Amino acid sequence: MDASAISTQSLTRRFGALLAVDNVNLRVASGQFFGFLGPNGAGKSTTIKMLTGLLAPSSGRIELLGLDFASRSVEVKRQIGVVPEGMALFGRLTGAEYLNFVGRMYGLDRGTAAKRAAELLDFMQLADQPKALVTDYSHGMQKKLALAAAVIHAPKILFLDEPFEGVDAIASGTLKAMLQRMISRGATIFLTSHVLEIIERLCSHVAIIHQGRLVAQGSLEDLRAGVEAQAAAALPSISSAGAPALEPGEKLTLEQIFLRIVGGSRLTDQELSWLR
Amino acid sequence: MAALILSGQSRAQFGAIARVRWQLFVNSLRTIRGRLELVSRIFLGTWFAMLGIGGALVLGLGASHFVSEGKPEWLAVLLWPVFLFWQLFPVLATVFTENFDSSNLLRFPLSYPSFFLIRLVYGSLDPATFLGLLWTLSIGLGIGIAAPSQFFWAALALGVFAILNILLGRVVFAWLERWLAQRRTREILGLLFFLVVIGFQFTGPVVTHLGRGTFPPSRQIAEQFLPLERLIPPGVAAQSISLAWRGEILSAVGALILLCGYALAALWLLHLRLGAQYRGENLSDAVARTTGPRQKLSVAPGWNLPGIPGPIAAVFEKELRYLSHSAAMLLPMVMPVVVLFIFRFTPGTAARDAGLLSRAPDLAFPAGAAYALLILSNLVYNNFGAEGTGVQFYFASPVKFRDILLAKNLAHTAVLATEIFLVWLGVCYLFAPPSVAITAATLAGALFALLVNIIAGNVLSLYSPKKVDYGALGRQRGSQASVFASLGVQLFILALAFVTLYLARAYGKIWVATLIFLALAAVAFAGYALLLSRADQMALSRREILTAELSRT
Repeated sequence: MDASAISTQSLTRRFGALLAVDNVNLRVASGQFFGFLGPNGAGKSTTIKMLTGLLAPSSGRIELLGLDFASRSVEVKRQIGVVPEGMALFGRLTGAEYLNFVGRMYGLDRGTAAKRAAELLDFMQLADQPKALVTDYSHGMQKKLALAAAVIHAPKILFLDEPFEGVDAIASGTLKAMLQRMISRGATIFLTSHVLEIIERLCSHVAIIHQGRLVAQGSLEDLRAGVEAQAAAALPSISSAGAPALEPGEKLTLEQIFLRIVGGSRLTDQELSWLR
Repeated sequence: MAALILSGQSRAQFGAIARVRWQLFVNSLRTIRGRLELVSRIFLGTWFAMLGIGGALVLGLGASHFVSEGKPEWLAVLLWPVFLFWQLFPVLATVFTENFDSSNLLRFPLSYPSFFLIRLVYGSLDPATFLGLLWTLSIGLGIGIAAPSQFFWAALALGVFAILNILLGRVVFAWLERWLAQRRTREILGLLFFLVVIGFQFTGPVVTHLGRGTFPPSRQIAEQFLPLERLIPPGVAAQSISLAWRGEILSAVGALILLCGYALAALWLLHLRLGAQYRGENLSDAVARTTGPRQKLSVAPGWNLPGIPGPIAAVFEKELRYLSHSAAMLLPMVMPVVVLFIFRFTPGTAARDAGLLSRAPDLAFPAGAAYALLILSNLVYNNFGAEGTGVQFYFASPVKFRDILLAKNLAHTAVLATEIFLVWLGVCYLFAPPSVAITAATLAGALFALLVNIIAGNVLSLYSPKKVDYGALGRQRGSQASVFASLGVQLFILALAFVTLYLARAYGKIWVATLIFLALAAVAFAGYALLLSRADQMALSRREILTAELSRT
C-alpha cells in the first residue's frame, strides 16, 4: 500500500446478510479536501466508522498516514480527529470541561488543553454560556462543539460526518474558513455531506459510494470529464434518466454528476398529480 | 362537547389515533423486548385485575356496612384510599415508565376542543382510572344495596367525585409533564422526590416518638385535621352522602356544589395547561446566545493528579464532574449517613428501648460502609451507562480501554472512600467512635468487596450496558442482568464476610478478620489486574453493542 493519508484495500463490512460496504479501495492523498458521497444507506457512515475505529471491518485493510490501523490503532488515533454521526459528546459537562477533557485524552498537557479550549470556544462563539451543560446546547451549538473537540489536538486527518447539518450560515462560514486553513497547512479532511453544493465548493476530490460499492473516485474535474465523455458516447452505464438535461456548453454540477452516476427518479406529470 | 365528538372530522381523528396506538402496539411485538414487555403487561394486568376485584369487594362491603350501621360519614375512610391511589399511582408510574408524547398531535389540524378531549380521553386510559372507576362504582353499589333510597344521591355524588378524579389526575399529569420536559425542573422534581422518599424513612421514628406521650399528640393532630378533611374531595363526597342520608338536603346540596366547584377548578387548571400546549409553548432547554459583546473566556486547566497520567486524570475528573452535575445521582450518596440517623433515632421494642445499632454500636461502621458500597454498585455495574453517544469518543480516542476503566474505577473508589469517611464521622457523632480493630477490619473488608464489585462491574458494564440519564427523574439502574449479577456478588461477599467475622469472633481476635480480608483483597487485586490486561480486547469486541445500546434515543 502507498503512503496516502487514507488508503483502504478491499474494505468490506457485513451486517448479517447485508453487505453494507463491499470491497472498497479508497485513496486520499495528504492535504486533500475529500468529499465522500452517496445516497441514503449507501455505506458512507459505515465506511467512516471503520476508518475511525468505531466499527471493525469484516475484512480488508485500512492504512492512515501510512500506518496499519489494525495493528497501530493508538498511534493512528492520536493523529486523527473525528466528528461522528452521533457527535460523541458528553452531555453533562460544560463546553469548557468537555474540550479540556478531550484535549487531555489526546495527550495535551493541562495548560495547552485549557488554552486551546478557551480559544476554540471563543472562535466557535460558544463562550457566552460557560456554565451551560452540553446537553442544554442547541443542535447547532453541539455540532460546533463536536468540531472544536475534533481539532483541539491539531489532527493530521479530520473525519467529518455531516458537519454542517444544523449549523447556521454565519457559523458555517466560520467553520469552512477554519477547515480551509487546515488544508492550507497540510491537513487532510474527509467529509461526508448530503449537501452537494458544500462538497462542490470545498472539496478538490470526491468519491461516490452506491449500494456499498465505490462507483467513482477522483478529482471533480476528472469525474466531470468522465461523465461528459460517457454521456457524449451515450454509454448505457451512465444513467441519464434521472438527471436533468444538459445544455450545450454547460458545465456539469456535482449534483448532475452524482445523479448521472447514481441515477435517480424525476417526477413525471402523471405522478402525484393531486399535489398543488 | 357531544357535537364535537360527533363531528365527522373529530370522529376520524379519534379513530386515527386509536388505530395508530394499536399499530404501535402491534409493531412493538416484532422485537423480543416488545414481546417480553407484553408478557410483563399481561402479568401486571392480571395483578391489577386481582387488586381491582379484591379492592372492589372490600370497598363495596365496607360501604354497605357503614351505611347499614348508620355511619355513612365513615365512607370517607373508603373514599380516601381511592382518591390517593387515583392521583398518586399515575405519578409514580410516570417516574418509571415512558409516556406517549401527545405534543406530536399539534402538527395536525385539530381544534382546541378536539385536542382537549383527545388528551383527556386517551390520557385517562390507564389502570388508575379503571381501578378508580371500578372502586367508586362498587362503593355506590354497596350503598345502594344497604339503603336503596340513598342510591340516587350517592350515585350523583360519587359520579362527580369520579369526574373530579379523572380531571384532577389529568391536571397533575399535565403539570408533571411540563416539569419533566426541562432538565432543570426535572432535576428539581427529582430532588423533591428524593427528599420525600427520605422523609418517609423518618415517618416511623417520628410517629413512634410522638406516640410515646401520655396523651398521644398524633391523635390530637388527627382530631385537628378532621374539619379540614371534610373540605377535601373524599371528605366532601362522603359528607354529601352522609348529609343526604340524614335528610339534611340543603347541606348535602351544598357539599355537592363544593365538589362540583373542585371539578370545575380542575377543569380550568387543565385548560390552562393544555391551552398553553395547544398554543405551542416552547419548553426547549437550549441556551440562548447573548447579544452583547463577546467575552474572552478563560478556561481553568484540568485537575492535576500527581503521578497519574493525563488521560487517566482526565477521565477521573470527568467522572466526578458528571456526578457533581447531577443531583439525582449525587444525593443517593448521602443515604448511608441518613440511614445512620434513622437507625439512631429509631427506637427498638418496648423491652429494649434502643435501636439495633444503638445496642450494638460496633456494627454501625461496618453496616454504614456496606450500605455505601451497595449504593455505589449502581454506578460500578454500569460504568458507561451515562456516556450516551460519548462512548464513541472512547473508541475514537488514542486511549486504551484499560486506562479508561482504571480511571473510572479510581473515581468510584474515591467516591466510596469519601462516603466511608463520612460514615465514620457519622458513627463517631451518633453512636461511638468504632474501635481500631473494627475500623481496620471494615476498611479491609470494604477494599476486598470493592475490588470484587469492580471486577464484576467492569465485565457487566462491557457485556450488559444500559443507557441511563443522570438528569432523569426516577431510578437509574443498570440492565436486569447487571442487577441480578450485582445481587449475587453482594450475597457472595456478605456470606464471606459473615464467615470471616464469625471465625474472628470465635478466636476472639477481630484483627484475624482484617488479615483474612486483606488476603482476599490481594487475590481480588490479582483478578482485577488480569481483567485490566484484557479490557481492550473485551471492549473492542463489544464496541458495536456498546455504541448501539448507549446511543439509543
